[in-house]
Amino acid sequence: MRSGAVEGLTTVEKLPSFYGEDRLVLLTRDPYWLFAYWEVTPATRQQLEMEGQRSWEHLNLALRVKRYATAMENEGCFHIPINHTADNWCIEVGVPDRYYRVELGAQIPEKGFVALLCSNTVKTPRDEISNVIDENWRLPDWQARRLYRRIARGSISSLEMAIRGGGSIHLERRDEC
Amino acid sequence: MLTPKGYISFIFHAHLPYVRHPEYQQSLEEKWFFEALTECYIPLLRVFQELAEDNINYAVTFSLSPTLLSMLEDPFLQERYTAYLAGLQQLARKEEERTAGDVRFAPLAAMYRERLDYAAYLFHEKYARRLVNAFRDLQEKGKLEIITSAATHGYLPLLAVQKEAAYAQLVAGIDYYRRIFGKASRGIWLPECAYDPVLEDMLGELGLQYFITATHGVLYASPRPKYGVYSPILTPGGLAAFGRDPETSHQVWSAREGYPGDYLYREFYRDIGYDLELDYIGEHLHPAYLRGNTGFKYYRITGPDNHKEVYDRQQALQKAREHAANFKFNREKQVEYYGGVMDRPPLVVAPYDAELFGHWWFEGPQWLDFLCRMMHGQQYVEMITPSQYLDRGYALQLSTPNISSWGDKGYHEVWLNAKNDWLYRHLHHAAERMVALATAYPQAEGVQEEALKQAARELLLAQSSDWPFIMTAGTMERYAQVRVSKHLNRFLALERQIRENNVDIPWLRAIAAADNLFPNLDYRIFQSLESTVPVEKEEAGAGIGGIS
Repeated sequence: MRSGAVEGLTTVEKLPSFYGEDRLVLLTRDPYWLFAYWEVTPATRQQLEMEGQRSWEHLNLALRVKRYATAMENEGCFHIPINHTADNWCIEVGVPDRYYRVELGAQIPEKGFVALLCSNTVKTPRDEISNVIDENWRLPDWQARRLYRRIARGSISSLEMAIRGGGSIHLERRDEC
Repeated sequence: MLTPKGYISFIFHAHLPYVRHPEYQQSLEEKWFFEALTECYIPLLRVFQELAEDNINYAVTFSLSPTLLSMLEDPFLQERYTAYLAGLQQLARKEEERTAGDVRFAPLAAMYRERLDYAAYLFHEKYARRLVNAFRDLQEKGKLEIITSAATHGYLPLLAVQKEAAYAQLVAGIDYYRRIFGKASRGIWLPECAYDPVLEDMLGELGLQYFITATHGVLYASPRPKYGVYSPILTPGGLAAFGRDPETSHQVWSAREGYPGDYLYREFYRDIGYDLELDYIGEHLHPAYLRGNTGFKYYRITGPDNHKEVYDRQQALQKAREHAANFKFNREKQVEYYGGVMDRPPLVVAPYDAELFGHWWFEGPQWLDFLCRMMHGQQYVEMITPSQYLDRGYALQLSTPNISSWGDKGYHEVWLNAKNDWLYRHLHHAAERMVALATAYPQAEGVQEEALKQAARELLLAQSSDWPFIMTAGTMERYAQVRVSKHLNRFLALERQIRENNVDIPWLRAIAAADNLFPNLDYRIFQSLESTVPVEKEEAGAGIGGIS
């Protein structure tokens, strides 16, 4: 017999589907993947519809993913076509230790990509030992090898992640980004 | 004092989400807390106290999450635990009668009775229901170093889209610790060891001195750490980051080779709550007559299949002793190896979930007891807390830790995947609204202040890392959805009422009585960071190692 009281705990309350705010938020998941979610208000949609001369459903909506080596140094971008009902996307970026920013917009004939919303900037984690070495904090190479080899033996495997995320991401020329 | 060849830092992280359901006679979720008390925290406290009574030198770090502390301090839950424990004691006596004369089972029934009687002694007689005082006593004796965590164990890297949300989690956790323990926490357990350099400014500003990361948090730091994870690094915010040692983690956690899976140890999944007739056991189940664990388990792991033999306590303890000796031996070999490479004694950082010890690994507390006794008086590997290590004054290398967590795959996926990613738009929206409220009403009084405080509590409760974790794990998923939707909707309603200056007072008082943690919470901790003056830094405790 299951007490009614316990069953009462299973009511999930509905949360708002929209908050009435334009928003595009980017989150880091791991060295190779990001997650973005967004909300576009009707007024903002309309702007893009006017720009593209067609309704939201018929626009070629896309995410433009921009990659930076440092917070300022743009390495290029790529586009992901999205459907008009989507409000979130898992983005495979494929390169650890980089900064990313995403724009939501549409590919419009003769105008190219027209951005509507811009996200915050995030960084992917490094997936290997850093190549940056502080000379004041350097072990002789043979010692460093001994140290790191043993640690690596007991550490989590990054191999699996490298295999999963290893697909090459083709970046477009910087002037298109 | 002789310098040891190396150090080991044991860090036990104790945390449960805030679970308190006065609206129900019994709740399955409150049982998480009662079980953890009976099977983990009290047995560990017993070990720590007995070691102290026997003048054994040991140093262990214990992080107590603010939600767990709040539950330990809550009179309603103390009352409920009293009834729960009394019920188990009654069952223990019935079990002694039922097994009387059976040479295999009777000693086990007696063992459970003795353990429960001890729990009742510690809870009622020694600490008058306030087990927090047991931890405080051990801290004051210099045996335990207790550290805080984020207020409701929010997963900070994913909340930090609004810096104020992460900041409020940290401040509320630090403040609650200070109220309970009367001093500042020197370290912090970042929930799930989840770290992102965006947290650095806040951590430094709040006067914290150290935190723990997953192995690759320090191993993949940049510049490359000279000593790998065997010395802390100094982060840009001026804290020490201690990276987890993979070997000690593997020895305890590995499903295949880890100690807890030994065939002589107690089998977790054979419990009289499932095995005995409902007529006999039903009234002792929680909730009553719902099949579940009672903690009375009479079998050992035995082997990989379903055939189980009766648990032999003496054999299991002997095995725990062997495992403690093995652990000690391996640490000696480990520090010998790293000592040959490093120009300072290596520090092995071994963090564990406290709930592993006693609940899943029944013999875990005894293993720790044996280990501390074996390490007592030897100079080879010294037990040390992170603070004690920092006080030794080793220079620390300046380096920025890598984004990381101790979850599956090492990053944020456990808390951000198809099962729970919908949550973040709501959490971020609510945090943004809370920041706007706290900034717009800096001087609230009366009902308005009560409502703002409660809004802050509801938001903090919604932010617990436990909800997305449970959704990923797929067990009790519904409960996580209920909780998160309830707290968010309460927040949204309060936000609207505050804005409209139309607070529903009876309703506010009702939810404030139900979601009652952090009584002294200052909602202004959510104020926009651009409009506030940094909080005063904690008066310096011992400084941490210099940069060289």
